[in-house]
Amino acid sequence: MKKLLSVFLSFLMVVSLSACRPNEEGSTESETTEEETTEETSEETTAAEYSFKVWCADNVVDLTKSQLDKFATDHPEYALTFTVEAVGENDAATSMITDVEAGADIYSFAQDQLARLVQSNALAKPGVKASETINAENDASGIAAATFDKELWAYPLTSDNGYFMYYDKSVISEEHLGDLTAILEDCVAANKTFAFEGTTSAWYIASLFFGTGCVSEWNMNGTDIVSYNDTFNSEEGLIAAKGLKEIVTSPAFTSSSGADAFSANPAAAVLVSGTWAYSDVEAVLGDNLGAAELPSFTVDGNTYHMGSFSGNKLIGVKPQTDAEKAAVASQIALYLTGEECQSERFDAVAWGPSNKKAADSDAVKANPALVALAAQNEYGVPQGQYPGAWWDIGKAIGSAIFELGADSTDDDLKGVLQSYSDSLASLLTVDPEVARAWTVIGSVQGGDWSEDIEMVEDPEGTWTTADLDLKAGEEFKVRQGKSWDANLGSDGADGANFVVEEDGTYQIQLVVGDDWTAGTVELIKK
Amino acid sequence: MEKLSDLEYLKLTKAQKFFYRLKLLITGFPSWLLGLGKALLSFLKNIILNIKNEFLDIFLTFKNGDFKTKLSYLFMGFGSIARGQILRGLLFLIFEIVFIFYMISSGTYWLNKLMTLGTKGPQEVYNEKLDQYVMTYYDNSFKILLYGILTIIFIIAFIYTWRLNIKQNKISEAIIKSGKKLKSSKDDLRSLVDDQFHKTLLALPLTGIIVFTALPILFMILIAFTNFDANHNGYSNALFTWVGTSNINQLVTWTSGSSNFSATFGEILTWTLIWAFFATFTNYFLGIFVALMINKKGIMFKKLWRTILVMTIAIPQFISLLYVSKMFSNNGIINGWLMDWGIVGLDSRIQFWENPTLARIMVILINIWIGIPYLMLIATGILLNIPADLYESAKIDGASTLQQFQKITLPYMLFITGPYLLTSFIGNINNFNVIFLLTGGGPTNQAYTTSGGSAGYTDLLITWLFKITTVDSNYKLAAVIGIAVFVVCAAISLFVYNILPSMKNEEEFQ
Amino acid sequence: MSMNNNEKRHMKQSTKNRISNTVIYIILILMSIIWLIPFVSIVLQSFRIESTLQVGYVIPKQWGLDNYIKLFKETSFPIWYLNTLFIALIVALVQTLVVLSMSYTLSRLRFKGRKFLMNFMLVLGLFPGFLTMIVLYTVLKDLNMIMANAVPGLILVYVASSGMGYYISKGFFDTIPRSLDEAARIDGATRFQVFYQIIMPLSKPIVIYTILTAFLGPWGDFIFARYISNYNSSGMNVAVGLWSWLQKDTIAQKYTLFCAGGVIVAIPVTILFMCLQKYYVEGVTGGAVKG
Repeated sequence: MKKLLSVFLSFLMVVSLSACRPNEEGSTESETTEEETTEETSEETTAAEYSFKVWCADNVVDLTKSQLDKFATDHPEYALTFTVEAVGENDAATSMITDVEAGADIYSFAQDQLARLVQSNALAKPGVKASETINAENDASGIAAATFDKELWAYPLTSDNGYFMYYDKSVISEEHLGDLTAILEDCVAANKTFAFEGTTSAWYIASLFFGTGCVSEWNMNGTDIVSYNDTFNSEEGLIAAKGLKEIVTSPAFTSSSGADAFSANPAAAVLVSGTWAYSDVEAVLGDNLGAAELPSFTVDGNTYHMGSFSGNKLIGVKPQTDAEKAAVASQIALYLTGEECQSERFDAVAWGPSNKKAADSDAVKANPALVALAAQNEYGVPQGQYPGAWWDIGKAIGSAIFELGADSTDDDLKGVLQSYSDSLASLLTVDPEVARAWTVIGSVQGGDWSEDIEMVEDPEGTWTTADLDLKAGEEFKVRQGKSWDANLGSDGADGANFVVEEDGTYQIQLVVGDDWTAGTVELIKK
Repeated sequence: MEKLSDLEYLKLTKAQKFFYRLKLLITGFPSWLLGLGKALLSFLKNIILNIKNEFLDIFLTFKNGDFKTKLSYLFMGFGSIARGQILRGLLFLIFEIVFIFYMISSGTYWLNKLMTLGTKGPQEVYNEKLDQYVMTYYDNSFKILLYGILTIIFIIAFIYTWRLNIKQNKISEAIIKSGKKLKSSKDDLRSLVDDQFHKTLLALPLTGIIVFTALPILFMILIAFTNFDANHNGYSNALFTWVGTSNINQLVTWTSGSSNFSATFGEILTWTLIWAFFATFTNYFLGIFVALMINKKGIMFKKLWRTILVMTIAIPQFISLLYVSKMFSNNGIINGWLMDWGIVGLDSRIQFWENPTLARIMVILINIWIGIPYLMLIATGILLNIPADLYESAKIDGASTLQQFQKITLPYMLFITGPYLLTSFIGNINNFNVIFLLTGGGPTNQAYTTSGGSAGYTDLLITWLFKITTVDSNYKLAAVIGIAVFVVCAAISLFVYNILPSMKNEEEFQ
Repeated sequence: MSMNNNEKRHMKQSTKNRISNTVIYIILILMSIIWLIPFVSIVLQSFRIESTLQVGYVIPKQWGLDNYIKLFKETSFPIWYLNTLFIALIVALVQTLVVLSMSYTLSRLRFKGRKFLMNFMLVLGLFPGFLTMIVLYTVLKDLNMIMANAVPGLILVYVASSGMGYYISKGFFDTIPRSLDEAARIDGATRFQVFYQIIMPLSKPIVIYTILTAFLGPWGDFIFARYISNYNSSGMNVAVGLWSWLQKDTIAQKYTLFCAGGVIVAIPVTILFMCLQKYYVEGVTGGAVKG
């Protein structure tokens, strides 16, 4: 039996593992088994059968189930099976990214995850008609939140993912509300804390930077960061850093955004958080609950109102391999984010609607948290798309300033900001050199699409070639970094070739748009 | 360096012995390397020689064998079946059939793609009629790599079995020629509970280890040479492919400045080693100390003390550590009490988790809370085994309690638990729970931001690896870190093996 | 009458002894308090019903069993609990068999490749354990053992790698005299009979130790369980489930539930541990001595 048995067993294991045959070309996804089916409608044998896995936050599972049931009843033409599971907004994104294949067909997530999800191909773009509906029915921030790289990727679900200030009326006096320093003093005087995620979350830290007019805008081409415009490391940034220092070095500072800051010991007098904490805060503070916009901070005699991110929750649809199923999924997502469902959700769990009609109700306008949020949104920056690493790099500003302590000098703070901007620079997946290297390529100048012709950049952001002798009928394109990843044709990115109409001496000129990968090309005759 | 004779060596004190061994190790390193090189060379030579012999043997067996043997070259197991060893023959035959079937049905498919890890990624098409974007998935790099490796291993196993089958024929022929009887299938089965009992016992456990530990590790090592990350997840967005050593280069090239992977790795490694040192030795000595206290003559309620202490072993760490982590937050119960008692004020609350140095000290302290009980149990067991007359005679000689501890208890413990200290040191390098559940790696360190993701002051290599895998989905760098952890652990183990006398002989204890 | 020297010394010693004992008692009492505070306060918090979030005091203002009732009626906790219990029972059984056969073989039987095998496993053991979790996830996915079906997947993962933990019980087998086997072999017993009829009856402590550790392991596993269940609550074990209640967006509603869940998990596990403590001590002591 010389080792025969062990060999035999090892082959058995290989067989059992490899029993799955290779994916044939274009195979469809395997569906994981559905566990908890809520309903099967329609006994018609002709009805197309689809089953969907839906993920939503824990507290709206039952509501979502009943909404889906209603959808199924309204659409007897399909036989629908739903599996509704409680997977929180952040977990949903992480889970989808880990494994798109086994993930939910329809899921809700917070907008800061959009870039990662697009990156992983975990989202299917809504069709043209669906996009029109979304654009027509939702507020501007909702649409902006669902947009990535100039295209709509998701369905706005709420418009309340921003933050403002909860406070304890018995501690913070009404007239101090607008003044950060006074508020902090009130907290200290009452031996209570000021809860603000100043060392643990870039989302909150950005508040001060937006307050002084800093911007951080990211320009991504699909999954690559093409360029960014970030002014945190600047004079204004330094002012914001000083404001942040005032908070994190205050004796009252506690880095928290949970409602339990109010019930902890030492308890908070102020909590910077969002609408989701409302009912929990109310349970602790009762009549003492106050909600207001964020205060202003004063540096060197000037005051700056703290800014914020105004963000949204979104619903995403996973890319489907079956067009019919994709169409149904899109309908369901539209329904779940429509006026009716958003209003129901507001009534049940007080989520602020992104749907304009739903947001217009008196009840929404009277909700104290949503009122405070609306006031703060005046100073809010619509939350665009950020690369995942930005959140990590950003929060380190807070922890670094906290570490430096109250004695830190301006130079120390500048060092922190410098380190921040150095880290950002390393994120660029498209080399800045490459991003600026535009060339012309084509059958012009006797070339046969193999030689690039240099373009020179001028300070206004225009790229121009030297004078070229062009013949009618010659074709060319303009491209970036000598690769076809980003190229411009006569009808935009990836478009058809430019064709020269008549012989002559020309300069080819390119004006690059906001997006570093697009622009307009002109032929200038000499 | 001068070598000491055994007698001279025995005369040295403990410390001298240690340094002597250390010196031996360091000075012996070049010659050790040389020896290794030589051994490798002769190993290669042997292999070539062996292969030559194998081929020769295969050829000769064919030439000299009867038709049963010759047919076995094509149909595995034919010879065995023809000679009446049905069971063996059938196993061979089934193996061959399954192998051929497998290779035709999918093996060649995976092999073909292994070099490129797939060529066609997913495609999105706009379906105008339904106004929908529809996805079609093609290659899956991850599976190509996984099943590609499995196929190669399967092929190796097949060749090996084929060779076995030939040897089998040769042996059978020889046995028949000498006039003896071949083993029957019944004998074969019986030998599985007797002579070959180890195969029966090891078959399942080893299969498990190979499939669920060894192969995945091999796979992850290969991942370090691909660009598998969130941007190339191999299936739903873009395929990944071989990139050579560029990931490893990130780890070994040292350029200064922020967002540097190698610098961050160096810093986290340093802290990991500091942590492992303190975590191991604080527990060790305090554990012995507690055991001595509880076991001291005249101390009552021994069992009660022990029971209270071992609570931390019994209760799952995710409960106790998560709770403790909340207790120490800057608005947690501990700070609350301290404030109520007037020990600290609002401004002087202790920033257990926010202050980097304090956070590092806290994880070591809380680790003591978790770790002492183990050591206490171990030490109790060993202390009871120390011959009592040693202490008696020490007492008669007038040795104080401290002296007794120094001269008898500690050396005895150290000698006996040397190997345990090593395993526990390695275990602490990989101590995920304590760090992850207490601090999650925080507080964030601005200097630790890298292309792999960010890390904090208390992050160990292992928690960093976890974050890079689950948060940043940067699998390629996670694989690199995993390999690095292995190298560190292996280096430490080798070093200690060469220094500690009690590590050497396994059989000695029997 | 004066005391003689001997008595003096005796008295001096006993005073010294008394002082040192007192010091030891004080230290032990202090330690016990430190050790118990977290556990006592978890238990107390689990009976707090006036609010569900973290508070700055330990003793509840209103006592009640609401958290426990809610735990079983309104949450997925019973599913997690049964998942974990099921995993733990199966793993305890299979892992014990695997570990025992592995360690017995490596301790008692001599065969070609034995040294290689042990070195091989030593080397494997130096890799971080969960480095391979993404591979295992994919393998289990092909077997449809992830997310909601994570339970069999987890069992497979735990059991399959359990052979690596042979060290402690091998150390134990090493201490049983070889002459026992040899005598039996001479009497004509097969190796299997030696294992089953002679070694096993002598190995009760190590068998119980192995069962105990195998049973306790799955209650605390967090890494694999989280990755393989991939946020799907019906595939979670207690560790992952309860951990998910302490996240930012859930802690306010679930904190006291977490405490109650923790108590429910800890009580049976602790009782079991305390009952079998003797064997556990023998196991770890033997393991440490052998390394």
